[in-house]
Parts: sequence; C-alpha cells; structure tokens
Amino acid sequence: MNEFSRRSLLKVATAGGAVAGIGGFSALSQFLSPLLTGPESDLVGFQAPQRDEIDEFSHVIQRLTFGPRPGLYAKVKTMGTEAFVEQQLAPDSLDDSWTDARSRHFEALHSWPLGELLEYKARELLDQMTRKKILRATHSNLQLKEVMVDFWSDHFNIDPSKGDSKWLKPADDREVIRNHALGSFPALLKASALSPSMLWYLDGRLNRHESPGDKPNENHARELLELHTLGVRGGYTQKDVMEVARCLTGWTVRERSQSRFAVGKVEFRADLHDSGAKTVLGVEIPAGLGAEDLERVINIVSHHPSTARYLAEKLCARFISDAPPESAVLATAETFRTSKGDIRQTLRTLFHTPGFRAARGEKTKRPFHFVVSALRATSARTNAGPALQDYLLRLGHAPFQFPTPDGYPEEAQPWMATLLWRWKFAVDLSSAAISGTSLKIEALRKAAGSEEALAAHLLGRAATADELEAAAQSGLPLALLLASPAFQTF
Amino acid sequence: MKSQVTTFIGTEAPPPVTLVIVFLRGGADGLNLVVPHADPAYYAARPGIGIKARDAIDLDGFFGLNPLLRPLHHWWQEGQLAVVHCAGSEDESRSHFDAQDFMEHGGLAAGGWLGRFLRVRPDQSESPLAAVAIGSQLPECLRGAPSCAAIQSLDDFGFGPNLPAGFLANLAALYKVAPRQLAPAGQSAMMALERIDALRSQNPTSSSVTYQTDDFSNGLRQIARLIHGRVGLQAATIDLGGWDSHITSPLIMDPPTQRLANGLNAFAADLGPERLAHTQIVVMTEFGRRVAENSAAGTDHGRGSVMFLLGGGIAGGKVHAAWPDLEHELAGPGDLPVRHNYRDVLAPVLSQIAPGTDLAKVFPTHALSPLTLF
Repeated sequence: MNEFSRRSLLKVATAGGAVAGIGGFSALSQFLSPLLTGPESDLVGFQAPQRDEIDEFSHVIQRLTFGPRPGLYAKVKTMGTEAFVEQQLAPDSLDDSWTDARSRHFEALHSWPLGELLEYKARELLDQMTRKKILRATHSNLQLKEVMVDFWSDHFNIDPSKGDSKWLKPADDREVIRNHALGSFPALLKASALSPSMLWYLDGRLNRHESPGDKPNENHARELLELHTLGVRGGYTQKDVMEVARCLTGWTVRERSQSRFAVGKVEFRADLHDSGAKTVLGVEIPAGLGAEDLERVINIVSHHPSTARYLAEKLCARFISDAPPESAVLATAETFRTSKGDIRQTLRTLFHTPGFRAARGEKTKRPFHFVVSALRATSARTNAGPALQDYLLRLGHAPFQFPTPDGYPEEAQPWMATLLWRWKFAVDLSSAAISGTSLKIEALRKAAGSEEALAAHLLGRAATADELEAAAQSGLPLALLLASPAFQTF
Repeated sequence: MKSQVTTFIGTEAPPPVTLVIVFLRGGADGLNLVVPHADPAYYAARPGIGIKARDAIDLDGFFGLNPLLRPLHHWWQEGQLAVVHCAGSEDESRSHFDAQDFMEHGGLAAGGWLGRFLRVRPDQSESPLAAVAIGSQLPECLRGAPSCAAIQSLDDFGFGPNLPAGFLANLAALYKVAPRQLAPAGQSAMMALERIDALRSQNPTSSSVTYQTDDFSNGLRQIARLIHGRVGLQAATIDLGGWDSHITSPLIMDPPTQRLANGLNAFAADLGPERLAHTQIVVMTEFGRRVAENSAAGTDHGRGSVMFLLGGGIAGGKVHAAWPDLEHELAGPGDLPVRHNYRDVLAPVLSQIAPGTDLAKVFPTHALSPLTLF
C-alpha cells in the first residue's frame, strides 16, 4: 500500500471511530474483521491433563507460554518437553505467519522513518501497541518470545506518557524489546541505551557537557546500573553513577518542539560530550573516545558478575517462583556469564534446573497473564479493543502504562487487590459481556468431551472434587473455574 | 502483610482519608469565581463582565464569591473552605490539552501525579476500590495507579443481576483453602463485594440531602456512597466541564458555576461532619483567563486561577493570595499570574492524608514549597 492510500484509509477509519465515539483503530478493525478473527483449528486434537498434580507437560506449557490453548497439551505430550523447550528457544523454527499477518494491520507501529510516528495521535499509538501486544500474546506460536517481550518491557520499562516518548515508544517496542527478546543481552542493552524513547524517558537527551563544570544528568546512568544491569546491591558506587553519566553525555534526540525533520533521530554530539578520561567499576576509559564511551560502558556492565546474578534472579523469579532456590539462580547466572549474556542459552540452563522442574503451580499470574491465559484457554476471539483494555486498566496492569522505570512488579503480593476484577472478567468473558470479545462455550465443551476434561485443561491438572462441585453448583462453571484460585496460579 | 489484606475494609480500623479531585476542564475564570471586589483594576479591566461588588458575597473585605457560589458560603463561614488564588502551573502553552496534560502528569514526568501518589504512599491500599474516576475514561492524573476504575455509577461494580445465586458462595468456598496470599485476598474481595451490594440495595434517596440531577452532582453522590460504604476508597476524580468562556462569559460560566456550588454543597453535607473530616476535596483547573475582557464579553486563555479546598483539618475561611497589581504585574499578554504552583497546594494535602509520603517522587520536577493549609 503506498503512503497516500495508507493515510486515506486511516483517515476514514479515524473518522468512523470518531462518529462511534471510540478510538480510531476500532473502526479499522471492524472493517478488517474477517482478517482479525482467530483460527479455530486448535479445538481439534483437544486433550486435557489427567493427573491430580500438574504434570511436566502442563508445567512447561504454563511457564513458557501465556497458558495452554486447547490443542497445545496434546502437541507437547507428543513431542516431549525437551523438544518443546528447544522449539520455543528457536523462534525462527516455527510458522507464525497467521499472527504476523494480523500484527501487520497495526500500520502505525511500522512507521519508518520514526518521524512518521508523529503523524498519529499519541492515544492511537498506545491503543495499537496495546492491541498488538494482547493479540500476539494470545495467538503467537512463539510464546516464549512473547513472554520474554513482556519480561524485557518491564525490565527496560518506559512509560511513554512523557514528552516525545508518546510517539517514539512503538519504535522501542519494535527495535529494542522485540528485536532482542531472545538474543544477546549486551545488544539489547545497547539498543535500549540508544532508543530515542528511552533517551526521553530517562532524560538522556538532557545529559550534556557543554562547558567545564557542567554536571551530568544522572537519571539514565543510575537506572542503567540499578535496574538494567548490576542491581541496587550490585556493588557500584555513586562515583560509578557519575562516571557512567559522563560517558553517556552527548547523545541527543531530535525533538518535536525543535525540529520538523528527522524527529526521533538519535545523534551523538561531540560538542556536548565530556571527552575526559573516566573510570567505571574500576575499568579505565581513556580520554577522547567520544561515542565509543557508550560501547565501553555497555561492555563493562553487561559482563559484570553482578549483572549475571541480577538478571538470573529476575529470570528465576519469573520462571520459577517469587523466591527461587539459590542453586537455580547460581546455575542461571553462570550460563549468563559464560555465554556473555546469550539469552537463549541462559534460559535453556534455567529450564533444566531441578528448581524449575519442581516449582509447579508456585507462581501467581499477573493480571495481563491472567487475562491472556483466559483468552487462550477458551479459544476466545478478541479485537483487543477498548472494552478488553478496560479490564486491564481496572486490574492495574495495562501494557505500557507503568510510570516508574522499575516496571510492573513480578511478585504476587502487589496484585492481591485485583481478585474482584479478575472474577468480574471471568464472569463477563463467559457471559459474552465484553464488547469485541467472544467465545463459543458449546464448541469448547464439545471439543473437551466432558466437564472434567474442560476443568483439567483450564487448571493444568485434574480438578479436585471440591472444584468440580463448586463449578457444577455455581451456575456458570466456566466462569467459576476461570475465577478460581487454581486459575490464578501457574 | 496478611493483616493488611484483611483489615483494609474492616469496621474496626479507621477508614482511609479519601482525596476527591474536582477538575474544572476548559480553563475556569478564577477572577469571576472569587472576585477581587476591592480592586478597582479588576473593574477597569472588566467593565462589562466584572462581578459587581454589591453582588459578590464578601469573604474578607477584598475578595468575594461569585453570587452563584452562595451554597458554598456557609462552609467558608464555618471555617472549612479555603481558597488559593493565582494558582496554576508553570505551563505557558495556554493550550487546554497541553496545560491539562502538564498539570495531570505533574510536569514533564511519566504517569499521573495521583497515580504516583497512590503507588508511593507508605500505606498502599489493598482495596480493589482504592481509586475511581467518575466518567467513561480515566484521567491522566490517575495514570499508573495500582488499581483504578472509571465508573459512571455504583452499578459498574459487582456482577449485575444475571449472576447465578450460588456463584459467589461456591467461589468463596474455594478461596477459603487457596494457597499463599490468595485466601486472605479472596476473603477481602468478597467483603468488598458485600459492601457494594449493601450500598446498591440501599435506597439512594434515603439521604436527607438533595442532590441536583446533573452528571456532576450524580457523580459526587456515587463518590459519597462509596465513602459511606467504607470500601477503602483512597482517591476519586470527577470532572466538571464547560468553562471555556471566550464569549459572553456569564452565559458560558453561570451553568457550571451553579453545578459546582450545588454539587459540592450537597456532597459535603451528605458526607456529614464525621466523614468530611476524613475527606479532602480539591477543586482545580488547567489555567485561568486573561484579566481584561475581550470584545465578545468573554475572556481568553490565561494562567492563574483559583483552587478550592474543603475537608478535614483545612484552615478555612481564608483566601491564600499574593495578590498582584492587575495593571503592572500580569503574565504574558495580560493574564493573572501564577503565584502558587498547584503542586505546592496539593503537597500539604497529600502529606496530611498519608504522612511520610516521599513527595519528591510524586512531584519529581518541581522544588516544593508547600503552602500552609492546615
């Protein structure tokens, strides 16, 4: 589609949205609705777990994905957990064309050059990013990649509501987070440090050295050490923060308020860079390296043992439990270190620790995970539009809306006030009360074969007698199981 | 942690102080809401639309209330209502969108100031109903709140009439034996639901207070019900629009002014002394107007405006104002200047509500010098 027709289509779509009183893209998705509905093929070959405890197949599905779709358990049981893990670690090995095709409809997010993003309303971009994230998490076959996208989105959190980030975050999602989600950590870190959205969010664009005595802006440097690499107990000092800040001086981003051209372009300005010698974490960086300073910093912090430890702790907290066993953290950290931050190798080690195998059902789903797992388990169709997003807002877990750089919390405790809204979502999903989202309960039930099998599919193990009785007596068995404690855990 | 989960909604513990933010959207003309009736320069600048001294309800010999705000006058007389004049932000765009965005984020910062406050306050709520926005959309100020819901009425909570009778009892039975924190959290959510159901089943007209029927009054009535219901409400936001008085100022401003006065008066009365003591109401707007009237008997976008404060412990009966010389000390093209940054007005309120809150995290881009309001 050429530029002209693309914009015309969007204009039409936006006008339609305005008339309907809703976001522009919802009109577009209605227009494209034949393309946006889900495949039903996963109701074929439906098989449910039978053991009373979560078995190894259910366990890897629950941990590596946003929850089982109806056909997935049978597939994993056939191929074995080892092959499933390897498949998920090799994202090029799987056909994901259906989801890719669907993602391409979010035109705005593909804007290039970046300045094109500024032609859209910020609210529209947030809506499209959110929809894309929900739909990919729900439908992509590369589930581990989507889980890691979620992980890195929090690790390198940006709330785009600040300044030009409103327009630039889609580029960060595309070129930093998604591009490196299963790649190399140093490359991811470098991409993030040079992401125009991050330069806005953590004030890197203001970190300038124009005359002797200028104090650097430490915001990005501090978070780079505290949140992105070494961790707050990683052994760096205030002096290290200031030295990293000096190394990062001079990276600017063309701003909307100052330029009409190449907005969002990141440029190194030698005249704004502190060219003196620096010492970062005991490593000397000689004077006069200019833009090379950033490479040196990325290299020093990526390969620091504290970074391996900190990343291992966070990954184990996501994939094992809120308080993972030390042995698993050590093994994961060791691979991170020896592989020089190879994310796939690190995850492979993690998935093979005894701690990972043992931690069945020990995690509590965060709200986004809960909502997506319910959509997946029920093979629901959704346009991921305002009605669905509204539940995520009520649950306090709308994508791209966490204000501080630490990202949404991973542990269960901060989410304990969200049960009421989870229950309401379970009831509304099962009652076809969410606009733009629907499911075929009868088809699902028929495919499962029995209430017991459907319950086991949802819970990852055979339901207990209490659970089956509660479901049967509730009047809304599917909603009750989705709302039940066992469906909140994974 | 367990005790927190189970007690937020209990009857023993004191309920949280609820912060109610009323945002007057469209740039409310502070000069015609709280009138400097003893300042001849005001009348010189507004020969047509100035509120006449004899019409204004005198407050302190210099300022007077717009006569349509008369329902609020007794709160002033009782020392519960305070006014901050020449309040606003440093945003100079005079654009509704930019100024609201700036004010609600608290400067060039990520997330909304109220969302950050709810996250960083030391006593973070475990209630599923900690923050509500009356309306169809969450305001930017609440962005990033731990949990918040945009509601039109109490009926948006709960499960509606179609939920089978046995559903919640069966769910509660499973949560009783749930692992980890899920058991107390489930119990807490069940109690919240019971509270809301009890509220809903109460006859809404049983209150002796009469609200008007407009959306603003109705929204305040819903907030009052949540406060009465002790569901753990920490913050509520509500908008009142229609202030953009470029032409024929009284025709534009009088209706929302009446709605503001009647709604707030009914709300404060509905809360009653005990609940009002646990409530802080702040009325704010993105900017004020030009001092001089324009040729269409209106005023254009300006800078400073008024904020109203009503609630527990507020040292009311006072207009906080470092009043400028309206001939020589105006901002930009002739606007009432900003003498009190709105964050310096909010800061003491937040400190009163949640002592120990790190306000530098709530308002990261502004060196605070909090006003003495309590």
